Amino acid sequence: MTTGRPDGGSARDRGRVRVHVRVRDWLERHALGLIALLTAVVLGVMLYLPVGVVFAEAVFVDGRLSLAHFREVLTDPFYVGVLSQVFTDPLAIGSHLAALGGWILAGFPSFPLGLFGFTAYQAALSTVASLALGLPAAYVLANYEFRGRRTIRSLTILPFVLPGIMVAVGFYAMFGQAGTLNAILGVVGLGPYPFIERNPLAIVIVAHAFYNAPLVARITVAAWESVDVRALETARSLGASPRRAFVDVVVPQLLPAVTTGALLTFIFTFMTFPIVLALGGLQLATVEVWVYARIQRLAFAEAATLAILETIVSLALTYAYLRYESAQAGMSRAAAPPPRERLFPDLRTALEPWRLAIVGYGVLTLVVFVGPMVSMVIGGFTDGGGFTLRHYEFLIRRQTEGASYQTLPWPAIRNSLLFGVATLFVAMPMGVVISVVTTRSGREGGHHSGRWATIIDTLAMVPLAVSGIVFGIGLLRGLVFGIPLIGGWRLQITGVVAIVAAHAVAAYPFVTRNVSPLLADLDPALVESARSLGASRYRALLDVELPLVASGIVAGAAFTFAISIGEFSSTVILASGGETYTMPVAVERYLGRRNGPAIAMGTVLLAITGLSFVVVDRVGGRFERD
Amino acid sequence: MTDLTLEGVSKVYGETTALRGIDLAVEDGEFFTLVGPSGCGKTTTLRTIAGFEEPTAGSVRFDDREMTGVPPEDRDVGVVFQNYALFPHMTVAENVGYGLRFRDPPAGTTREERILELLELVDLAGMGERRPSQLSGGQRQRVSLARALAPEPGLLLLDEPMSALDARLRETLRRQVKRIQSELEITTIYVTHDQEEALAISDRVAVVRAGTVEQVGTPKEIYRRPATRFVAEFIGDNNVFEGEVRTRSSDELRVRVSGREFDIVPADSLAEAGTGLESGDRLAFCVRPEALTPTVETNRLSVTVETSEFLGETVRVHGRWNGTPIVLRLAEPPDADELTVGFAPDGAHVVELESDARGND
Repeated sequence: MTTGRPDGGSARDRGRVRVHVRVRDWLERHALGLIALLTAVVLGVMLYLPVGVVFAEAVFVDGRLSLAHFREVLTDPFYVGVLSQVFTDPLAIGSHLAALGGWILAGFPSFPLGLFGFTAYQAALSTVASLALGLPAAYVLANYEFRGRRTIRSLTILPFVLPGIMVAVGFYAMFGQAGTLNAILGVVGLGPYPFIERNPLAIVIVAHAFYNAPLVARITVAAWESVDVRALETARSLGASPRRAFVDVVVPQLLPAVTTGALLTFIFTFMTFPIVLALGGLQLATVEVWVYARIQRLAFAEAATLAILETIVSLALTYAYLRYESAQAGMSRAAAPPPRERLFPDLRTALEPWRLAIVGYGVLTLVVFVGPMVSMVIGGFTDGGGFTLRHYEFLIRRQTEGASYQTLPWPAIRNSLLFGVATLFVAMPMGVVISVVTTRSGREGGHHSGRWATIIDTLAMVPLAVSGIVFGIGLLRGLVFGIPLIGGWRLQITGVVAIVAAHAVAAYPFVTRNVSPLLADLDPALVESARSLGASRYRALLDVELPLVASGIVAGAAFTFAISIGEFSSTVILASGGETYTMPVAVERYLGRRNGPAIAMGTVLLAITGLSFVVVDRVGGRFERD
Repeated sequence: MTDLTLEGVSKVYGETTALRGIDLAVEDGEFFTLVGPSGCGKTTTLRTIAGFEEPTAGSVRFDDREMTGVPPEDRDVGVVFQNYALFPHMTVAENVGYGLRFRDPPAGTTREERILELLELVDLAGMGERRPSQLSGGQRQRVSLARALAPEPGLLLLDEPMSALDARLRETLRRQVKRIQSELEITTIYVTHDQEEALAISDRVAVVRAGTVEQVGTPKEIYRRPATRFVAEFIGDNNVFEGEVRTRSSDELRVRVSGREFDIVPADSLAEAGTGLESGDRLAFCVRPEALTPTVETNRLSVTVETSEFLGETVRVHGRWNGTPIVLRLAEPPDADELTVGFAPDGAHVVELESDARGND
């Protein structure tokens, strides 16, 4: 690739070549800036604009700025429980304190939580359950060596990208009246028990643990493996017992990871939607489910107000998380991680109580994690009595004979794959350019640009804090209905473009999160060498940085694809009425009337999502942040 | 080739000032070294020349071309880093050839020929297909040098290139760098914290301290006639005595240090500055360890030995005279706790005058 110029040709040809070269040079020099600009435009139109529309909906009453909607919500016991008294009359501090005292004296009786209170309550319970289920896994994965350890460690990423609607289907197949668990209990003469109907909250919390316990486990394992064994040995040589060394050396290093996992779990379960909608219904409504119900009744202002209040809470939590994460960023990677013990070195030790407890825990994880997925796959092939291909036959028959207004399987699969690929092309440059901008300005020159990097980082991570429903209302009220512009124009984005852009906005933070740490680890002298040798910033990125962070890029691509394929909340809004429905939307549409085909469709979805991660594992991507 | 001028270059990061007005003039083809303790600003100066940092104030010029605002890729410089910064995903040949993707090889050679030529220049012929990870540290640094030189830059910048290598390798590579530099006659800026390396390799040396240049000179000038007490103490071992002028004749000063009087002949560089010296003025002078020997009969002083280090050809002795730390170089380890040594009047060099000290306040 020398920059040699053609020797022959007429003067005019040469002139044209020179212009061509100059245009190419200009593009190359400004490529990075142009991509950054495009990213900003996409984010502005597809993220900040819809969120702004929701916000405007909440604060404008009849065209005038007003907090009336907020006052209504905050003084309604249905939404905020006992706190409504406080919001009704905030200055009557004396009577509030008296009420608090009376409550304590009465021995903490139960009190009305309200919608927000209940949402926080179930999020707290889910966080506890996720920690309880995830921390033992972290302990086993970090301290024992056994066959399949690495595979399980990489699989902990999978639940995170599984579509909620599919997990709900899996939980029905596992814990429902005709589910696998009842079938197993039936063999020993028990049941059937209506697990979901009798205690929907418990099932919802287990489903939340299904999502978040692996997250807690993977963050904690990473921290555990980065404990320097020499620090432990130093503590021992200074006289600490093994238990004492664990408490003094290991625990302080795990605590930040556990806190991070708990915070993220709380944020995610506070914004929960499909799980509660499918497993709990309206009697267990969280804020998000209620917002969805309000939208269906076209009560947009009320929905928007609730959505804004919810977003304020989750944004505050996300900010706390990002602050916390950056405070922990200085922790270095260990030179010598602690050694791992064989889990079952021989038969005798395998029967020790401690190892039996680990085995028991393993069985529990099988029930919670593998059970729903396997049950779903089996459910696609069974029919009360035995093996059947009826559900898949239904899908094929629907495809060949179904009317065009019905939800057909092949368009759903095809759309999902097409949107997934298209999302890759949008989300990858966005995520990479944000990584480059934040890590570069963080590194170059002083305090000011460092603060800029944090601001950009936080702005760019907003999609993590904005729930799918908020985003969905914003898209619907803003871009689908259209926003009038000056001169009679309307800004209206619908259909495929809107869906792909929405998916890209939801997915790119995962590209950034995978690429940034690797990029930050690269020696800055590599890029500087390339530039002093004549490469533009953009060329240095293409030639040097991207090949070296390829594993992070591949992992980011897998996330992007999986998130696009599984995205439900905004797709269901943007695809309504049209022919742009995807697999999760199809699952949801089948779910009401025909569980069999929904399960069969969910299995196809699981297979494609799983496949994208297997492919990535083969080409050497890594999902690790450590 | 290129000559380089820095004028009043300063660099401020938020609260901290890294450079406070650096002035340098490097001639075409010169081997010029920036030496100083860590954090003194020598690397920042180099990075400003390369274009990785923009100066807060001042100007950087290559051959009278103003370089402020010119991105690194348009400066036509070759940079060698301490940690080599080889592209690990490219072969040795691809690394060396990378700069030739953007700049044409010298007239009459193809890209491939140029790569082979450079590999030969750094004694790595036949290694082109290897990966950087398959090379030793010294070999990697030579690849890095070849890569920087391949596009024939006007200026070669080396940022502590030897620091990651062991002592013996460092000396070998140092000679090789010097040989290549004089062969190509390329203007070279070399940054190091190792004063011995600076003296060994350079045409001229700038001693940098706290963001300013303390002294610029040939290695001989820097060593023999340090302009400041800092330079005297930073470059090589030195003994510094603080005292008070008793009497002065046309070329000789009698200085009282800790109750003992010494006769010294100030170096000519100071003769002019010292013309205003009167009895009662305070000054500091230094005597190199090699000038402070038991055989010299003038300016005798009795040193209490504290430690001695056997270095092979010489023995370095640390001791004290009336509280002043003393360092000596002897042929044999001392056999007594007390040693009497002396220095010739012209073996002393005045590094600090009271008027200087007042000027700094």
